[in-house]
Amino acid sequence: MTDLTIKIGGAAGFGIMTTGLFLGKIAARSGYEAFEYPEYPSLIRGGHNVVSVRIADGKVFSQEKKTDILICLNEGTYRLHSSELKDGGLAVIDQDKVDPKKLEKPAGNITLLHVPFAKILKDNSLSPVMLNNIALGVLMHLVGADLEILNQLITETFARKNKEIIDKNIQAARFGFEYVQKNFPAGYKTKLSKKASIEKRLFISGNEMIGLGAIAAGCKFYCAYPMTPSSTILHYLAAKSEKSQMVVKHAEDEISVINMALGASWAGVRSMTGTSGGGYALMVEAVSLAGITEMPVVIAMGQRPGPATGMPTWTEQGDLLFILHSGHGEFPKILLAPGDMEETYRLTLEAFNLADIYQTPVFILVDKYLQEGHQSVEEFRIKNLELKINRGKLLSDKDLQNITNYKRYQITDDGISPRALPGMKNVLHQVNSYEHLEDGHTTEEENERTKQVDKRNRKTATFLAKNAKLPVLYGKKEAALTIIAWGSMKGPILQAMQGNEDKFNLLHFTYLWPMPSEPVTKILKDCRKTLLVENNSTGQLGQLLKMVTGIGIDDRLLKYSGRPFYPEEILEKIKETL
Amino acid sequence: MNNNFSGYFPTWCPGCGNFGIWGALKNACQNQKIPPVNLAVVYGVGCSGNMNDFFTANNFHSLHGRSVPTAVGIKIANHKLSVVVIAGDGDCYGEGGNHLIHAARGNHDITVIVHDNRVYGLTTGQVAPTALKGFKSKSTPAGIIEVPLNPIALALTQGATYIAQGFAGEVSHLTGLIEAAIRHEGFSLVNIFQPCVTFNPLTTYDWYRQRVYKLDGENHDPGNFQKAMEKALETEEKLPIGIVYQVEKPTYTDNLPQLQKGVLAEADLTADLEKYIEEFV
Ligand SMILES: Cc1ncc(C[n+]2csc(CCOP(=O)(O)OP(=O)(O)O)c2C)c(N)n1
Ligand code: SF4
Repeated sequence: MTDLTIKIGGAAGFGIMTTGLFLGKIAARSGYEAFEYPEYPSLIRGGHNVVSVRIADGKVFSQEKKTDILICLNEGTYRLHSSELKDGGLAVIDQDKVDPKKLEKPAGNITLLHVPFAKILKDNSLSPVMLNNIALGVLMHLVGADLEILNQLITETFARKNKEIIDKNIQAARFGFEYVQKNFPAGYKTKLSKKASIEKRLFISGNEMIGLGAIAAGCKFYCAYPMTPSSTILHYLAAKSEKSQMVVKHAEDEISVINMALGASWAGVRSMTGTSGGGYALMVEAVSLAGITEMPVVIAMGQRPGPATGMPTWTEQGDLLFILHSGHGEFPKILLAPGDMEETYRLTLEAFNLADIYQTPVFILVDKYLQEGHQSVEEFRIKNLELKINRGKLLSDKDLQNITNYKRYQITDDGISPRALPGMKNVLHQVNSYEHLEDGHTTEEENERTKQVDKRNRKTATFLAKNAKLPVLYGKKEAALTIIAWGSMKGPILQAMQGNEDKFNLLHFTYLWPMPSEPVTKILKDCRKTLLVENNSTGQLGQLLKMVTGIGIDDRLLKYSGRPFYPEEILEKIKETL
Repeated sequence: MNNNFSGYFPTWCPGCGNFGIWGALKNACQNQKIPPVNLAVVYGVGCSGNMNDFFTANNFHSLHGRSVPTAVGIKIANHKLSVVVIAGDGDCYGEGGNHLIHAARGNHDITVIVHDNRVYGLTTGQVAPTALKGFKSKSTPAGIIEVPLNPIALALTQGATYIAQGFAGEVSHLTGLIEAAIRHEGFSLVNIFQPCVTFNPLTTYDWYRQRVYKLDGENHDPGNFQKAMEKALETEEKLPIGIVYQVEKPTYTDNLPQLQKGVLAEADLTADLEKYIEEFV
């Protein structure tokens, strides 16, 4: 059984993130599963970056704290992370740069391997940006991976550059590889030898999944203002806009962003925006506008620790109740919180359908952990996932030929009114931020007001009857303890469950709102003992469940340091609880 | 279907300058023979924005200050539509000032019609960004300290390609300005002096009549940026009305390769996933 955690750390600006990506792809191409999580400060240079990659034969749901191999491209990496090394672990560090006597050895049997990175660079007149390739070469030999895969990856990555650059990078990797081959031939005990049969896997981030989902869903307008951790959705979609024929607009502020998206949506385009808490706060008034004008829009809301600017490059699940309650007045909205990369793709596709069907804002609630983390996913899972585009009650010119006296806000049983678009033949209509009559004209008349509120609210009832999904139970039904969690917490919890299936199971919520009270109450009542695990300080899902079901969760494990949970921390709590 | 753009009879105060603007807009659309189905009008919130119920086209009554980005989104999604914004001075120069700047920079092909009454009408008469210095209002009982914003100079320096100033008391002249603005391909601002008979006792019809003069081929060259700036700076004794500036430049949507095949709202939604997945393997 292979289960290997590798951490690589160094100064910002030296391609630490790329190293993590390469490692994940090497694992996937060698037939393994992998998960990667990067941590970095909100600085462009000079800060400390570290990326953690976990590789295993079976499913890998999250990173782990305990590390097999620690590659230190600076002294800080050793100082900050050497205590995480497993007994029998290995730290690679350039001891020409750091006095080995100064390196405090952590407990256990740790091997310190000297690799003269600086000297290799100097002797071969390589640029310092090649440091990460030397490190990759070192790793390839340590874990007995196929160097050819790395060479191939380098070739693909620099395909647009000239051959000299490709050769230099390949050479740098070989220097690292050969150094270890000569000086530490046995390498590390766990090996990543290439498997005989290899399932094709993507190694992909949550944000890329959102982008891919938007493209597959026929989104043709993505409008955003950069904000970590959602900026890379913008970057990905902008880079693909020629191929996808999507218009990708970086507008002047988030207020503009959401209003442009609503304008485009009114004119018939599937529209989306992505932001984080602060940017979303600016959008809130227009989300309420989407509520009353009954405008489809998809919002990818990437959480990071707040309040205010908070900790921009770190992670948290602190905005659930903010999003749920955001927007003045009462109107339906739909909240989806995927738990892993595959779910992120599927729920993005679904978000566009739900927005069109219910003509209201739909949120994909994610966080930095899921957005910037990478995970391997079998390609067939994405390819086979066919979700037909469903535009709900969108009318065509042909439909309109048979409709006289069209009313945009027609009172209907399911609360959803047929939708015409501006520019369609033979019909003029009005959408209105003021309360309105069925035909869209402004009204303050009490019966009309009540009718429209009821109509909009009926969309919630329709959703609950037709589209709401219950939380999913992972693990053994009869386990003594049930962990209650939502969104990205799925990964670390499932990881903790591996080998501990008898101890606990997980009740995971992805469809957060609207939430059906009766069945969820029953599910919670049937749990023997419950433990809430959330990446925030107030247990927001717990509060939501109390609101919907009246049931309190027995115990809580909350973390709000800006770091995601390690499976180890969850197991520790479970030991305490049981 | 309604083909003359008229809607409910307006609820504006009798004598309000908005009537003149309303009439001019209807005339302009009729003269231009724009089929109402091809016209999208976005309204801000204010007395001005209330025109949504009095004018019949494809209407989007948006938020206070946000009609401009809404219009930009509509134009990108369906660039075959003529897109007009009806906004107040508080709406467009105060709450939504940032959007005006950036829509001008982008040369988005929308026509922004601003009802400049130098007050907030709908919220009962506070100062607007164009209020004359010292103007006393409910929110500035001692007189406004700030100097008035100069919409024409602002639009000019930010890249607008059509800038006109009109007067609600000169309806047929104003009709021509709005027609030309809608016809113009690119960002158009029409700033309209609009007497508010209820809350602005200072800038009345008479006050304007004493000051406005028409720009024509004799006294102005709208193709000349420097000359346009000179006109933009005439904000006190004499107030120019007419086309202050006009220049042809590619619009925002002209620059979008995604629209060269047709309207975005009619694009094929299917995507070949194969083309995107390979880079992640
Ligand atoms: C976000 C927001 N803030 C404040 C208001 C209240 N409000 C409505 S209209 C208005 C000002 C109207 O003035 P102006 O834009 O000049 O239009 P006018 O009524 O003079 O035509 C204000 C402050 C609002 N609707 N929304
Ligand atoms: S308050 Fe002023 S702007 Fe509003 S309708 Fe009356 S006169 Fe017109």
